[in-house]
Amino acid sequence: MSSNRYLLFFSPDLINEPITYRMVKDFDLMINILRAEIDDTGGRLMISFQGSPQQIKSALKYLTDNKVEIKELNEYVHKDADRCTDCGMCVSVCPVGAFVIDKETWKVGFINDKCIACGMCIDACPPGAMKLGQ
Amino acid sequence: MKRTVEEINARIKKGDAVVMTAEEVVDLVRKDGLKKATEQVDVVTTGTFGAMCSSGAFINFGHSEPPIKMSKVMLNDVPAYGGLAAVDAYIGATEESCNGRPDYGGAHVIEELIAGKPVKLKASSRGTDCYPRKDIETYITLDTVNQAYLFNPRNMYQNYAVATNSGERTLYTYMGKLLPNMKNATYSSSGQLSPLLKDPNLRTIGIGTRIFLGGAQGYVSWEGTQYKTNVPLRNGVPAASARTLAVIGDMKAMSPDYIRALYMNKYGISLAVGIGVPIPVLDEDIMRTCALSDEELFAPVVDYALQSRNRKPIQETNYAELRSGTLTIKGKKAKTSSLSSYFKARQIAKELKRQVEEKEFYLSQYVQSMPAERAIRPLDVHSREEVEK
Ligand code: SF4
Ligand code: SF4
Repeated sequence: MSSNRYLLFFSPDLINEPITYRMVKDFDLMINILRAEIDDTGGRLMISFQGSPQQIKSALKYLTDNKVEIKELNEYVHKDADRCTDCGMCVSVCPVGAFVIDKETWKVGFINDKCIACGMCIDACPPGAMKLGQ
Repeated sequence: MKRTVEEINARIKKGDAVVMTAEEVVDLVRKDGLKKATEQVDVVTTGTFGAMCSSGAFINFGHSEPPIKMSKVMLNDVPAYGGLAAVDAYIGATEESCNGRPDYGGAHVIEELIAGKPVKLKASSRGTDCYPRKDIETYITLDTVNQAYLFNPRNMYQNYAVATNSGERTLYTYMGKLLPNMKNATYSSSGQLSPLLKDPNLRTIGIGTRIFLGGAQGYVSWEGTQYKTNVPLRNGVPAASARTLAVIGDMKAMSPDYIRALYMNKYGISLAVGIGVPIPVLDEDIMRTCALSDEELFAPVVDYALQSRNRKPIQETNYAELRSGTLTIKGKKAKTSSLSSYFKARQIAKELKRQVEEKEFYLSQYVQSMPAERAIRPLDVHSREEVEK
């Protein structure tokens, strides 16, 4: 058994596909939906799969065959407050808006709960304040 | 209403000088008008904290026993330039380490020295009659060396273009990570707090001007490299990158709060330098530019997908729009990111204000003004005959 977290991107025409149902039924996976967002640009699903490596592999193939974009998620990230200079470089690269600038103090806050651990901010932070792990 | 630097210094000495940050005078002039604000305020403090690649430090290590004339010099495995006298070297901020770590370099050595940490010095030489020693390996700190001073040939850009990327793939640049299809845009000036935007013609800043540099008192030493003046103006202020300054200051008096090593992924290393300049309010003209707000300061937007020195700006924007978090480029919304820290810029302007108010920092009259006109030259490939006079 292994458990992996993924971010799935759907185009609008795929929204009606019963994807999660198939994950369970056809591939015998245990799934957990961590976050779901749907709008007119398509859908984003943050999901974790539990199953044998072979089952997960087949499920991922089914998804790519159906033109779902997949991104495997990293571990959790954290912000090292001593290294952060509050520049804001991370703000525009984070896909879910986990960084928020306080317009009074101009400090950059990191909202852990919003983070989907995509890792985009890690190589974007110039002083190296965003790190993997809790 | 006119004042001189001497008059302002006399008021600082008496504890009577009125000092405000460049952000505070924006509101003051809006409220009280230019004339009254000029009468009220003696000094306006500015600040910036951004990536300044053209930075580095001269260090004199002192002589070993027996002495060595260092030719190859390494600091924490980062090469420093030793083509100077025996124990002098220059470590450049962007120099990369030789130990295979792309994210460690000269800027990190500089930051660690300023933070008081020990740094490994390794040097070698062919040996001479007067300098017989051929190699040395030891540890230094800022306390063990004779001199260590930042001497940055180009800092404090007067404005800088906003970067975006119309291409299909993410670009890793010195302007940060640029997402494809213009999903984001990055900028680097502190706008209404930026020193050279507030005195756009450098009426009060020249060679010898005392400044806040990395937490210490430093000086403007020369025009910066790539200094230029022939750029479009908006409200009398350059709306594209223009003047730059070379600055110098004692690392032993600096603080790691205002100097930070940076690594731009897949681009290289840079150094964030905190600089503040106090501007003497000589007259209404200087107060007018000191009080320009983010709405009134403009910058071009450049597409980094075009890899040419001649890329034309795709549009113009102002710092209020940039700071709002979204910029509309060709009808599409791009999220904006600042590479320089506005939080730190403000911290510097406030700290400088405190220092002037508490008589720790006096203003200076420059000894030589900066060039009034300067165009920038490109580098083209020529034959010897073509360039020979
Ligand atoms: S990019 Fe890094 S240093 Fe800048 S605000 Fe974000 S976490 Fe802080
Ligand atoms: S890893 Fe970074 S970029 Fe990705 S969601 Fe979390 S905070 Fe945002």
